[in-house]
Amino acid sequence: MSMRADLRHEADAVRRIVLEAALAAGTCHIGGSLSIVDILTVLYRRTLRAESGDRFLLSKGHAASALYAVLARAGVLDAADVIAGYCRDGGAYAGHPERHVAGVELTAGSLGHGVAVALGRALADRADGRDSRTFCLLGDGELDEGSVWEAVALAGHLAPPGLRLIVDANGFQGLGRVQEVLSLEPLPEKFRAFGWVTSHVDGHDHAALACALGAPARRPVAIVARTIKGYGVPALEGEFMSHYRSFRPHERDILFAGLDEVQEAA
Amino acid sequence: VRDAFFRALARLGAADERVWALTGDLGVGLFDPFEAAAPGRYLNVGIAEQTLVGVAAGLAYAGKVPFAYSIAPFVTSRAHDQVRVDVACAGANVKLVGVGSGVSYGTLGPTHHAIDDLALTRVLPGMTVLAPGDPAEAARAAEAAASHEGPVYLRLGKNGEPTLLPADAEFRIGRAIELRSGGDVTIACTGTALREATAAADLLADDGIDATLLHFGTVKPFDAAALIAAAARTGAIVTVEEHSVVAGFGSAAAEILAESGAGALLRRVGLPDTFAHAVGSRDYLVGRYGLSGPDVADAARGLLERDVACPTT
Repeated sequence: MSMRADLRHEADAVRRIVLEAALAAGTCHIGGSLSIVDILTVLYRRTLRAESGDRFLLSKGHAASALYAVLARAGVLDAADVIAGYCRDGGAYAGHPERHVAGVELTAGSLGHGVAVALGRALADRADGRDSRTFCLLGDGELDEGSVWEAVALAGHLAPPGLRLIVDANGFQGLGRVQEVLSLEPLPEKFRAFGWVTSHVDGHDHAALACALGAPARRPVAIVARTIKGYGVPALEGEFMSHYRSFRPHERDILFAGLDEVQEAA
Repeated sequence: VRDAFFRALARLGAADERVWALTGDLGVGLFDPFEAAAPGRYLNVGIAEQTLVGVAAGLAYAGKVPFAYSIAPFVTSRAHDQVRVDVACAGANVKLVGVGSGVSYGTLGPTHHAIDDLALTRVLPGMTVLAPGDPAEAARAAEAAASHEGPVYLRLGKNGEPTLLPADAEFRIGRAIELRSGGDVTIACTGTALREATAAADLLADDGIDATLLHFGTVKPFDAAALIAAAARTGAIVTVEEHSVVAGFGSAAAEILAESGAGALLRRVGLPDTFAHAVGSRDYLVGRYGLSGPDVADAARGLLERDVACPTT
């Protein structure tokens, strides 16, 4: 299987876990999880080097199911356990991730926390002479939080080489389109003004993501990934309500209509 | 207290390379000894308390032992969500240090007074809350904080506090120190209110009233056993804190006494549910708001003179 097909297959496998978990729990926050599946798939399959101590912090905690799913595909969590235990009474996987869960590096859910914590980790790496990279993903709506810009400013100033920020720019936030609620565009220019190296990619183009995420740099890098909320589920793609809508078992076909019928590799 | 803390911090930095010192752009010259002792492990994040606490959490996740320093309300209240999520909920090994307990910052006004920091920290699960009462204890508390695995809030006074505790006093997290063992009434204090509590015990002694004086260098975990034993012995407790009487040290004592069945009378001395809007020095405000040594002694006398309400049949 080519790298391209392999990643596409893998991303669909991650999406399946996200959708199965959401369906089993009858819960929401599907759209914002689907918008980052391709980013996380490339990150975990192509970019993160475990031997170097690379790590990933999910700041937009409401996309927890995508993190659990990619961790399950990476063998850190068990997929069946994630599907059975996500947002369920007595389950192990809350709607927002906590650090005590295997593979979860950040307790998140209150927005705007990730950048400062990631900066702390990157500063520790630099002080200890490690070349590990710390990736932190946040949403474009999350950029409204002032704490993000406090930390962005300090990171640009201190410039630890291993810090990587990914903005999931899916264009939606709590009550509407980002452009209408509080537009912070142009995003790459804003990060550049704070001293960051920036790149700007299609957040569903695996080759572009692999290039942007893996690019060597000696300063913090901000990768603005343009994504589609609900990506992979035609009924949810680009839909504001993909943040809030939940599905019942009889609606299963709506959720899985967009996924390949590729069988899981044994 | 502050200078004693910074001397201890420099010693800790020299002894343990995991120890870092972070500040939110406060403490002119105070970090110089630490920087000399621990090169590369001092960081001023700028005037950005949320980042102060978040970066400290990131360092802690990487195995460091960061001390994050600011004026008490800024590190506990301004950055409370980071304290709550990144530090407490995540169980991070971060040591938050708030200088200026109570009305220590006097004339600077209510924005700089810490009247709610004990409440904001002690409510958080897993948080250890330390409030040393004199300079030597501040140093010992800093050492105990560094050795303790888990989130700590260390509440410091400012400067000029007298030495009040015995030179050989031991600091153990969760243990109160009994400085006097009288049988008439108990004065239980925390942090910098040790000064007023000590003065009150002296005043009472002059009147022939023997007070038990209990100093709590730890607010959480609370030394319930020491309080209940004193309650059983004296039957009357006055708590003293440089903090609002709401949700702080006196409230913690009240919770414990109420559930213990010890049946002691209780009077909480502290800021009476008000910001200290009056303008003045720390000592002026302590008198103005009823926290002075004579005020504490009066509270104790009031308990001793109170009629006992017995159930009627």
